[in-house]
Amino acid sequence: MMLRYMLFLSAFLCFSGVGQVAFAYLDPGTGSMLLQLLLGGIAGAFMVIKLYWARFKDFFSRRKSGPADRAEK
Amino acid sequence: MTGSESRSDLASFRDPAGRVFLKDGRVFRAVYRPALDDWTSVVESGVLQSLAAAGRVVAFDEVSRDVLGGEAGDPALVLEHPRLPFVSYPYEWPFKALKAAALHHLDIQIDALDGGVALSDASAYNVQFLGAKPIFIDLLSFRRYREGEFWLGHRQFCEQFLNPLLLRALVGVPHNAWYRGSLEGIVSAELSRLLPLWRKLSWNVLTHVVLQASLHRSAMAHGEAVDARKIRKMSLSRQSYRGLLTRLRGWVSHLAPADKEGTVWRDYAKANSYADGEAERKRAFVAAYAAQVRPSLLWDIGCNTGDFSAVALAAGAGYAVGFDFDQGAVDLAFDRSARENLRFQPLIFDAANPSPDQGWRQAERKGLRARADADGLLALALVHHLAIGRNVPLGQTVDWLVDLAPTGVIEFVPKGDPMVRELLKLRDDIFPDYGIDAFVAALEARARIVRRESISSEGRTLFQFERRAA
Repeated sequence: MMLRYMLFLSAFLCFSGVGQVAFAYLDPGTGSMLLQLLLGGIAGAFMVIKLYWARFKDFFSRRKSGPADRAEK
Repeated sequence: MTGSESRSDLASFRDPAGRVFLKDGRVFRAVYRPALDDWTSVVESGVLQSLAAAGRVVAFDEVSRDVLGGEAGDPALVLEHPRLPFVSYPYEWPFKALKAAALHHLDIQIDALDGGVALSDASAYNVQFLGAKPIFIDLLSFRRYREGEFWLGHRQFCEQFLNPLLLRALVGVPHNAWYRGSLEGIVSAELSRLLPLWRKLSWNVLTHVVLQASLHRSAMAHGEAVDARKIRKMSLSRQSYRGLLTRLRGWVSHLAPADKEGTVWRDYAKANSYADGEAERKRAFVAAYAAQVRPSLLWDIGCNTGDFSAVALAAGAGYAVGFDFDQGAVDLAFDRSARENLRFQPLIFDAANPSPDQGWRQAERKGLRARADADGLLALALVHHLAIGRNVPLGQTVDWLVDLAPTGVIEFVPKGDPMVRELLKLRDDIFPDYGIDAFVAALEARARIVRRESISSEGRTLFQFERRAA
């Protein structure tokens, strides 16, 4: 959810029309913070994918190796 | 900077948490009450002590609060640090040194984070060097890590470490001149404009440079739509914070200059015009000087890859700072210092345009002379570069060198020498006065010649001098 929100926010910031300059006293680190949220979100998503991929592989390797191997473990 | 004066170091004004004072040649740091909580929790974590014990952070001892007197106001506590032999700035560092400093900064952050401590900024000026070994000097940058916080120094890290390295690694342009004019580093938006499109396709460049610049630009343009307070309320997990640091570390550790071709002077040690016996005589002369005078701080102007600094250190000099304008040579000198663990720090430096006093009130970053008093000097194969290569009158060249240190060795290279002939090849000889007699007269006007030795058949001559009291 967080990741989707971040991607949306970044896409909005990057691609929405430029030119309407409303100068605000934004902290110059705002860009860096948004980037950190984005990178953190992506890294988190990769972790989740890795975790599920490992479970997925595990599931099939167990089925292949059969119950005898499991007993040895 | 010796003497009995006590004064606030003007480079330390930015942080209200504390200030650095120099008194009787000692270095003190006053810590004020607003910083006390964080300081206490950082000390309790044990992170600082273990970093200091490993020599990665400058050592510190708590001393009596009275030691500074009234000028320091009412500090909560006062720390004393050992004095570094020489303070240098990132715009004087070769690529290899800036890279070592960047990795040092990231390593300290990673280890501190594991101990529950974060850094409040990422200023490159907080890293200094002992030889080629980086050391972190600002203890008040450390504070308690707050769960969910952002890496507040990320943008500063990019501007002061990453972007200057990328300038050389992606475009082949050294960072030094730009950085010297722009003391806060290189802004991502400006670097982004210089990068060729294919360089922007790498994930790291795309995110840390291009996307960061564009997010910042968009945030500024849509100030009303983006509520900075809302962003600040979001959080970054500790795992993501650490992941950011380790991935950046991995990237930085692989950066190398894009301009691989040999520069003029890095090949000098191999391709120079010396006969072997000449180099030997030169080494012996320098060693004898260093053994006799034992300078505690030696400046090696035109150090090339650091051969003669190494000789002087082995013979009894305490610490050597090398200066040269050639990027390739200074990178090699830095590698040598790291490899041989020398007390030798090579810097990028143009003798005809040394680092100035600059920054806030022109006192924040000091020029060469205001930073340290050298008591020894090597100026080997240098005079002709200034007097002929840069048109500096011979007398002024000698005056400048003798002003730098009270003792030293200067080499005079005559017009008949192949290296000088090379300098004059494509231009008129407008230097009728350039000759050994004029050189000796200029030197004797300011100093006593302790020893001289002719070391080549063309008449290269070494002079050991001792400056006369003014």
